[in-house]
Amino acid sequence: MTAATIETTGLGKRYGSTWALQDVTLTVPPGRISALVGANGAGKTTLLRMLAGVATPSAGTITVAGQHPADDVGFLRRISYVAQDMPLYGRWKVADQLKLGTELNEDFDDAGARERLRALSIPLDRKVAALSGGMRAQVALALALGKRPDVLLLDEPLAALDPLARRDFLSTVATAVVDRPLTVLLSSHLLPDLERICDHLIVLAGGRLVLADDIDHVLATHRVLTAAARDTTALERVHDVITIQRTPRQVTGVVRVGAAPLEPDWDVTEVSLEEIVLAYLGVAQSAGPPATAPASLTLLREER
Amino acid sequence: MNWLLWRQHRNGAVVFLAITLAFAIALWITGVHMAHLYDSARQSCTVGSGGACDRYLGSLFNGYGAIIDIVHLTLVLPVVLGAFLGATLIARETEPHTNVLVWTQGVTRRRWLLTKVAFALVATLIAAGLTSVLVTWWSGTPNSLNGDRFQGAQFDTQNIVPVAHALFAVALGIAAGAVLRRVLPAIATTIGVFVAARIVVAVYLRPRYAAAQLLSTPFNGPVGGAQLAPGSWRMSENVVDPSGHVVNGPLRVPNSCVAGSRAGADSCLERLGFRQVVKFHPASSYWRFQWTESLLFVGLAAILTAVAVLVTLRRDA
Repeated sequence: MTAATIETTGLGKRYGSTWALQDVTLTVPPGRISALVGANGAGKTTLLRMLAGVATPSAGTITVAGQHPADDVGFLRRISYVAQDMPLYGRWKVADQLKLGTELNEDFDDAGARERLRALSIPLDRKVAALSGGMRAQVALALALGKRPDVLLLDEPLAALDPLARRDFLSTVATAVVDRPLTVLLSSHLLPDLERICDHLIVLAGGRLVLADDIDHVLATHRVLTAAARDTTALERVHDVITIQRTPRQVTGVVRVGAAPLEPDWDVTEVSLEEIVLAYLGVAQSAGPPATAPASLTLLREER
Repeated sequence: MNWLLWRQHRNGAVVFLAITLAFAIALWITGVHMAHLYDSARQSCTVGSGGACDRYLGSLFNGYGAIIDIVHLTLVLPVVLGAFLGATLIARETEPHTNVLVWTQGVTRRRWLLTKVAFALVATLIAAGLTSVLVTWWSGTPNSLNGDRFQGAQFDTQNIVPVAHALFAVALGIAAGAVLRRVLPAIATTIGVFVAARIVVAVYLRPRYAAAQLLSTPFNGPVGGAQLAPGSWRMSENVVDPSGHVVNGPLRVPNSCVAGSRAGADSCLERLGFRQVVKFHPASSYWRFQWTESLLFVGLAAILTAVAVLVTLRRDA
């Protein structure tokens, strides 16, 4: 049993009287590539900013790589953070950008960062502002990986990238994880993209944590149950029913199956990660009418 | 961190040094020439030539209008430094969010901030100090002609006051950038507040750095007479009637003095007990005024710097 790399307890962030994030108690074990998903305004950016130490929690505690986020070198050297807009000095050459890493970090892997960019044919003498979005993202990532962090925090790194650049970006991340022990937390709307490299999943909805688990375990425990119309009280008592839809003839539910055996007349099928996530996000929209899977699917697709 | 400072400020430093070098050369050439003209004029003015000599000295630098204007224009150096060095110092990081990039490298936010602020203030001290040394040296000759160093064009550009103004302007810029986080609003605020503060201080506070002195002199002589040392700052001149009251409005000449010439009337009024009174700050108070104004602006600069530091360290990125 290894210690968790990211651990939060009762974490919350309030802006004025509104809680952007509330009561998040979360554990990410070391070595995971964790996908942080949720709709816009779910609190993904707020969570990442607090983990990176650039925003201060209003409530709760954080431990990242054994350190509490603080303005000290001991914490800063363990994390790398790439913000959503990937801030870089636009008028600088790429080489100067890497020099920034060398100058501001004790143990910056300059050779590695140059090699990474060379392999992607990104010219070091080009000004950052003249790079394509994909190249810019790779420069930001090279700078982040050059720090040799224990934890890499990436906020919506794929949002502005075309499919090819997304693939390249994710493969750089995946390669980095193989090279050295590294825990990655990256947020995105694009779950299908993340599924390829992520082995851990965190779902936020409305500023609250609704799911945090290894993807294998999530897939192993969630099932779609279908049966003729019936009373589901017994089912709900022993299993975690995430969503349930009723028609006059049948009942369909996404269920986290517990230890107790299911009644044999339930038709049990496997469920994709995307459907599970949508089920959790649908539940979170409790204010609206009972969410149905097709409706929430449309909703998320529109967001993309 | 030093590399980052150099990388971000090298262009500004080169521009400033180029302008200062050109300015220094112009001042050196004209300053030496003016001193030479003045000295030879003084030697050729023999005692007793009186008014003619004064007129000659007064017209001595008539062809120097342009350079004199440029020297007086160093008045705007503080606000230029405040806008381009102060206001951009933090705002140009927070506007494109490069502060988030830098604050998650291996240098603490505290060290980054203190290094940048210290650099800006020391650079200001050097830039404004250097300019003031040049202007003060160059103004030696015109000062000895005109005498009064309390006027804005002299007081605000010579000795320590311009340096204090510059430190205030830059600290104001840094604070505005830290609070507003965007470059243009920070620059606009810096210029507006700086100009307002300078006007308020120059018009309402500066005359009160010391109690003004009063000097009463005979009605028929020059105001202040020989007792008013050259280089004093004259605040007001008034006529006082025999009962000691200040005469407001036109002086009503008593009938007994109406007859005769202007000079005769003056002597007549003098005999009746009319006096002229000048309210002034003596030339010897110059350094007291320089120090008082400098400490005031340096104090404000210290408060604004503290505000900038606290705001930047406490607020989320």
